[in-house]
Amino acid sequence: MKLSTKALGLAAAASVALTGCASGGGGTTSGGNAGPQPLTLGIFGEPRSWDSSQAHVGHGLQPYQVAYDSLLLREPDGKLSPMLATKWQYNQDNTVLTLDLRTDVTFSDGEKFDAAAAKANLDNFRKANGPQLNQLAVVEEVKAVDADTVELDLSAPDPSLEFYLSQAAGLMGSPKALGSEGIKTVPVGSGPYVLDKASSVAGSQLVFTAREGYWNKDLQKFSKVTLKTLQDSTARTNALVSGQVDAALLDPKTGKQAEGAGMKLVTNQVDWTGLLLMDRNGEVNKALGDVRVRQAINHAFDRKTILDQVRLGRGTPTSQVFGKESGAWVEDLEDKYSYDPEKAKALLKEAGYSSGVTLDLPALPAEEPTLLAILKQQLSDVGITLNVGAPIANTFATDVAAKKYPAIQFNLFQGEPWVAINQMISTKALYNPFKNTNPELQAMIDAVQTAGPEAGEKAKDVNRYVTENAWFAPLFRVDQMYYHNSKITVTPQVQQAVPSIYNYAPAN
Amino acid sequence: MVEGRNRFSTTSATESTLWSTRMFSFILKRLFSGIVVLLTVSALTFFLLYFAGGSIARNIVGDQASPEQVAAKEVELGLDQPLIARFASWLTSAATGDLGRSWFTSEPVAQALSSRIPVTMVMVVTAMLLIGILAALLGVAAAVKRGPIDRAVQVSAIIGDSIPGFVIGIVLVTLLAIQLKLFPATSTIAPGVGVDAWILSLALPVLALVLNGVAGGAQQIRSAVIKQLERDYVRTLRSRGISENEILFKHVLRSAAPAGLTVLSLQLIGMLGGVVIIEAIFALPGIGPLAVSSTSQGDLPVVMGVVIYTVAVVIVVNLVVDVINGWLNPKVRVS
Repeated sequence: MKLSTKALGLAAAASVALTGCASGGGGTTSGGNAGPQPLTLGIFGEPRSWDSSQAHVGHGLQPYQVAYDSLLLREPDGKLSPMLATKWQYNQDNTVLTLDLRTDVTFSDGEKFDAAAAKANLDNFRKANGPQLNQLAVVEEVKAVDADTVELDLSAPDPSLEFYLSQAAGLMGSPKALGSEGIKTVPVGSGPYVLDKASSVAGSQLVFTAREGYWNKDLQKFSKVTLKTLQDSTARTNALVSGQVDAALLDPKTGKQAEGAGMKLVTNQVDWTGLLLMDRNGEVNKALGDVRVRQAINHAFDRKTILDQVRLGRGTPTSQVFGKESGAWVEDLEDKYSYDPEKAKALLKEAGYSSGVTLDLPALPAEEPTLLAILKQQLSDVGITLNVGAPIANTFATDVAAKKYPAIQFNLFQGEPWVAINQMISTKALYNPFKNTNPELQAMIDAVQTAGPEAGEKAKDVNRYVTENAWFAPLFRVDQMYYHNSKITVTPQVQQAVPSIYNYAPAN
Repeated sequence: MVEGRNRFSTTSATESTLWSTRMFSFILKRLFSGIVVLLTVSALTFFLLYFAGGSIARNIVGDQASPEQVAAKEVELGLDQPLIARFASWLTSAATGDLGRSWFTSEPVAQALSSRIPVTMVMVVTAMLLIGILAALLGVAAAVKRGPIDRAVQVSAIIGDSIPGFVIGIVLVTLLAIQLKLFPATSTIAPGVGVDAWILSLALPVLALVLNGVAGGAQQIRSAVIKQLERDYVRTLRSRGISENEILFKHVLRSAAPAGLTVLSLQLIGMLGGVVIIEAIFALPGIGPLAVSSTSQGDLPVVMGVVIYTVAVVIVVNLVVDVINGWLNPKVRVS
């Protein structure tokens, strides 16, 4: 066995050498600026590719942050700070974004970071067809103005662009490695750690060592970072309570075991759970075209009871789909649709559906069966028959886009207002497959797009519109249950279930 | 006298050569039929995955991707080609040992399999060896002694069969890893770790598999031995004054072995599916998590690799069992 693992290590080293993407200090440096303590995190899954253009959001971003720096740094509270870009500013009509860049940064293969490198990365992101390609959808051209200045010319304002530059679109890889086969399996960034390929096993664990000479000592707090893939929640819990990992995302049920073992909870709200009532013109399900029917569905749910039964009360009942930290959250919408079966029945009667309404939902993978059973019962109490269809696997996004479902039950991310609008409200949004809109709503959306820093405030109007017109039937915002041991401290990251890698520190 | 001995030796050598030739021919035939099975299962899997539907390209580029992005990814993966052409392309590459790369992770399929198969096979083979030895001892003891041992084996078989292996696994990890801290709760197998890490990481999963399967195997062996003990030839041997031990070990076990081996081989093949959950609970870097994730994602190159591995194991296990049966018992040798 030892022989085979050594052979694997040799093969890995050989492949790295052949591709010419080996980091200057890859796997050979340790200590660097970091303290002696290692960090081991339980993660859901590894990146599909280490090419930074293929980076994802949410859980998927954290592994990239270990090896890559981004242009901007998103602080735990959501504020944007300098990282590889020291300053940035828009022109007057928010169509040109200019960024000043650091001049003292190198990539792990020795290449220098400069405006040409930033342009190469942004151009690569725009053409590499990654899962977050839309983050740079409005960028028409990237110009390297001089050695440390880059300019992004936009086709239209995008209030989320700066946020995106702290996410997948802002990750910077070595221009020499971009587009190569090697970067798919070995990251080549300027980040605080480098992959120790010989100690890593794809699908099991990724081991990173602190990179010597890293430019930002404050962001490099550990000697080693190990990301251990633990897809099964029982395995994650066991690994955490037995001390094999320092932190992992659990759920309310497994969280009780972790709390019993003295683990500390870091919690915030990232997703909302509920129904997307998508067929608002009644193309497939005529009843859903009537706003009173959609409002009746909203009034049928006893959200607190559902939350208690499904997630042991870990969350907040809500009637709106915008998150509390988004800037578009409106306090008086929170309980817009109180539990009122009589009102639901009256609304159905008023809409001409006193004999009942039928609602078809597909069953989704990893769906909480208890949730659908409760929804079915509560809808039935007001005269709505819920039919749960066959479970679907990898056809979901395609089927939604093809208008196969008039409504779905789902968990959706509560991100920045412009992100949320383009996810579920605008006519470009996947979760608005029936392309519902009207001039009034479109004007509100346009106002958000051009509002710059005021986008959140403007998005409150959009929030009011979709809530009052019952575009959705939200149930609750979900508490994320991230647990860690006492060897480290963890600061939660707004709008992320799993904190950014910079938010971990040794306890002492 | 000398002539007679020579004649006897010559006859015996001829029989031995004949048997070897027949066995070699049998193995060749089985290998050929194995290749046919492999091709058939590969084709079926390939076509079934196609008809399972869904847009793999959409899954890869994400739910926010535009139709143009999805179409570009389909072209990149060759999904715009006719199904037959895609299968022919895969088959041609596979025949040369190139199983392609994962659509989702870009990892070569051969590399993904080669790093995971040892973990799964070490676990399964160890568990099966232990099950084989323990089941044989318990089964023979139950058949020969009957009474309390027999009843215990039968009751244990029912309990073992009715409690899933993963439940036993969770109980073991809670008790022996988390409470008593005797074993790691999840796998510590990684490149460069010593044999001790392999032993400690695999101890609980193997124990869970053994506890789940040993009593069932013992019950099957018990039945096979009892059946042989009731045969006429055993009565004849007893009437000739041959000792019970000689009857049991020289005659009965040889005759009962094929049935026992067949049961154990079926258990091993069934275990290949059962270890998927065990590997998830213990976070073992085996084939199980790869099989589950690739199938749910529709990662066709990886699914095909896993299928080839599974079919190959089934073919080899069946072949080995047939050969051992032939060696143990002349009555089942090929003619």
